[in-house]
Amino acid sequence: MGKIIVMTSGKGGVGKTTSSAAFATGLALRGFKTVVIDFDVGLRNLDLIMGCERRVVFDFINVINGEAKLSQALIKDKRIDNLSILPTSQTRDKDALTREGVEKVLNELSKDFDYIVCDSPAGIERGALMALYFADHAVIVTNPEVSSVRDSDRILGVLASRSRRAEQGLEPVTQQLLLTRYDPERVERGEMLKVDDVLEILAIPLLGVIPESQAVLRASNVGMPVILDEASNAGQAYLDSVSRFLGEDVEHRFVTPQKKGLFSRLLRRSA
Amino acid sequence: MSIFSFFRSAPRASAVQAKERLQIVMAHERAGRTGPDYLPMLQQELLAVIAKYIDIDQNKVEVKLDRGGDCSTLELNIELPAREAAAKALKESAKLAVAGNRPAAKDGDESDAVKLAAGGSLTNGGVKKRR
Repeated sequence: MGKIIVMTSGKGGVGKTTSSAAFATGLALRGFKTVVIDFDVGLRNLDLIMGCERRVVFDFINVINGEAKLSQALIKDKRIDNLSILPTSQTRDKDALTREGVEKVLNELSKDFDYIVCDSPAGIERGALMALYFADHAVIVTNPEVSSVRDSDRILGVLASRSRRAEQGLEPVTQQLLLTRYDPERVERGEMLKVDDVLEILAIPLLGVIPESQAVLRASNVGMPVILDEASNAGQAYLDSVSRFLGEDVEHRFVTPQKKGLFSRLLRRSA
Repeated sequence: MSIFSFFRSAPRASAVQAKERLQIVMAHERAGRTGPDYLPMLQQELLAVIAKYIDIDQNKVEVKLDRGGDCSTLELNIELPAREAAAKALKESAKLAVAGNRPAAKDGDESDAVKLAAGGSLTNGGVKKRR
């Protein structure tokens, strides 16, 4: 039986899709059969981030409506064997996601895949609720910034009351924090919330801290999950986070400003 | 850090303000979130039981839930109707309080048993319990 992971945040633009793509790719790199699903019906973007936008024929909604078979809609990643993408519809709206339909697709996927990563849309409406409803694990993607932290807290409340596990009185959805766009230098200047501040406020375990990195934009430009850019800080931080998700004890990196040597100052190459 | 920064009084870091503001607004929002879930239902059922024995006015009822650190109270104020036999101006108020050490946490911890401690008559039977 596959495990269902939801990448959620409440707030938009914090890095859910980037993180979903990176995380799914990381799990596949570790040998797990992984599929990543775009729940953002009408605003499809996971396909672009994964670099498979020109290979989309059928989508998640087609499968829910019985217009296509799951195997027709799944796109196999060209770089990594164990990885598949289930894109969503660009023309329909979120009402196309029915609980029964989503459940049917997830059940079918969990027979073949070890991990199902659900890329949630922003907000707390239907699309986001459907993305988190069946989750076993939730990764809360948060920026060190007031509105993102507040919205994450709201989503934690929703997970604790409106997920399947909550409704059926099962063991609660596990919740872990992925703090993205972290800038240790601004933190040191007192301009940005510290990791510890966010942890204290949200009170959930820390999965990882992804530093603000130019590699993220570079990777999305070319349709490559940033985790594959192993030279970048962000790529390494995602690899660490995946290891921690799999239960390994990995020290947190990139949480303090890096001391710049003369050489790197001259080159001014930031990762 | 320049030598001059030693003489300047540093302005309060904006990140500190961010944290303080978040803590205040979120404490408030979490408190509001815990209430509505089961409170209306609980109120209705409690009233139904009381109404079985005493003729009460549904509009003269007040239910309040306060969550504290280790002690939370459920307060139920019901204005009882003056008995025919009693003096006309007599106003009775019943107060039921239940306390448990619920964590002031997230939504939906209905599983906690709610014990109602009501003295023989409903007049001012305020009870507070600490588990």
